[in-house]
Amino acid sequence: MTSKSASPRSPRRSTFPWQLWLDVLAIVAWGVLLLNYWLTKKLNLLLHPDYMWLAVAAGCALLGLGTWKVWQGFQSARQRRARVLQPNPQHFTLFPPGWSSALLLAVAIVGLQFAPQPFSSDVALNRGVTDTLTMTRSQPQSFRAAVRSEERSIIDWVRTLNVYPEPDAYTGQKVNVQGFVIHPPTLPDNYFVIARFVITCCAADVYPVGLPVKLSNPRSVYPADTWLQVSGEMITETLNEQRQIVIQAIELKEISAPENPYDY
Amino acid sequence: MNQLNNALTLFFSLLVEAMPFVLIGVLFSSVLLLFVDERKLIAAAPKNPLAGALAGSLIGFLFPVCECGNVPVARRLLSQGAPSSMAIGFLLAAPTVNPVVFWATWTAFRDQPEMVFLRVGFSLLIATLIGWVFSVQADLRPLLQPAVARSMPTPARRSAQPAADLLQSGTFLIGSGQSLRLDTIDPQTATMAANPVLSKPFAVRLGLMFDNMVQELRELGGVLIIGSAIAAIVQVVVPREIVLSLGQGPITSILAMMVLGTVVSICSTVDSFFALSFASTFTSGALLAFLVFGPMIDLKNIGLLMTIFRGRAIVYLFVLAAQLTFLLTLLINLYVS
Repeated sequence: MTSKSASPRSPRRSTFPWQLWLDVLAIVAWGVLLLNYWLTKKLNLLLHPDYMWLAVAAGCALLGLGTWKVWQGFQSARQRRARVLQPNPQHFTLFPPGWSSALLLAVAIVGLQFAPQPFSSDVALNRGVTDTLTMTRSQPQSFRAAVRSEERSIIDWVRTLNVYPEPDAYTGQKVNVQGFVIHPPTLPDNYFVIARFVITCCAADVYPVGLPVKLSNPRSVYPADTWLQVSGEMITETLNEQRQIVIQAIELKEISAPENPYDY
Repeated sequence: MNQLNNALTLFFSLLVEAMPFVLIGVLFSSVLLLFVDERKLIAAAPKNPLAGALAGSLIGFLFPVCECGNVPVARRLLSQGAPSSMAIGFLLAAPTVNPVVFWATWTAFRDQPEMVFLRVGFSLLIATLIGWVFSVQADLRPLLQPAVARSMPTPARRSAQPAADLLQSGTFLIGSGQSLRLDTIDPQTATMAANPVLSKPFAVRLGLMFDNMVQELRELGGVLIIGSAIAAIVQVVVPREIVLSLGQGPITSILAMMVLGTVVSICSTVDSFFALSFASTFTSGALLAFLVFGPMIDLKNIGLLMTIFRGRAIVYLFVLAAQLTFLLTLLINLYVS
């Protein structure tokens, strides 16, 4: 029964089963890549924490699959007939033989060399930070109106504004937020935007949210992408013909970029 | 340089996010191949093309796979002789009409439950209609990739010669109690349709299951890489602002979201969260279009579909799905919200 479905490939003993070992390398490389991203905390930059266990589990599963393949490879090297007896129930190919594994392997190797970078302010400008006040989730996951205003993060502020957008309601409230600096070309020289990226699933869908900050000096003192802790209080101003809240900065402190640059 | 970095980060984030779902997909698909007799499933399918398409669309509830995973299952259904209406219905509906996606969409749009039901309802409707349309083509093989077409049983011949079961011309291999026809183009694929695997001991089947997983992983992984690369490049090169500025209008917003859904190629299991970030800038119809059309056809998915279909069939699927999605979501925009 089994010999009927034997693969048509030549059973010559001298042929090295390169396809098998290329598969093994590609699978193991991907397992290593996923676990490496997890262990070196690079996964933080790529995925929402809720989905990280999936990547980790996939990494373990790939390593398991790779181990099984290695075992199978040695088995069939020892007793060549075993390979012939293994029917290939399924083999559709879009790529020429070996290309797909080679591509997977090559990308995994690039991935192992590559350190994902947190997105910078130019991505935020590209993705339109200026209209982010309307771009947040319609319903926040958690919403605490009673929270003290200086404990709100940028995301909390934006969510609060989404629920109750009247800027004057917040005038005089204390602000203490952390984020990175964006220099939108549309704002005057003594304003910048303090922003965070929000991630919902993976880096492909991060979007920036931010609040304008009014400075007493030109913004060039704080270059784009600098991480700052901004404390001050809320005022209402009209920027770009739109009445909106602005943080009147009192103290600006440079901080180091957090390990996980995204907010949720 | 910065652009390259961003593109690579996007690229790897898409891959890292999609890889587990691809694994789940090939796992389900391999289990289906080696432990479930699809012929029973297929035999149980209603003969009526419309009912068959609906049944196929609902199989997703048994196999919670996203669009990375439904293609191998659909491919297998076809190669096991499933009617075209059933296979197409499954192919289009399974990424959306399944418990995992239902739960994810519910989590995302808890405050708008109508989005969840409209998403599932529209996907079912569109998949069933397209499955029904494709059932007109009784023999799908001219539309399929040669490898898939070869592996399919030949319904036409069977029905044309009802008495030929006993006496058939061709090359046969005599086995224990049963002879096997060898005169298809590839003897390997002939055994696949007969699925001899189900009669093997469990340990052997488990081994074959892993073998099958590796093969599909290799194939789908290669395609996923190409799709993710295209998606990452387009996302970095085209400013999202341009896509978004297309608008608030009832028509342009739908078109923009359909284009975005096609380009972003995000997995259906998680795309509702992605859509949620546009919830306040885009019309509900546009969000629905993203949630319904994205899982059916996107850049990554087109690559995967090419492992089953020839280009012509993909164009038919694309055009039909796009038109139906557009019409239905436009109705929502104009008359409901």
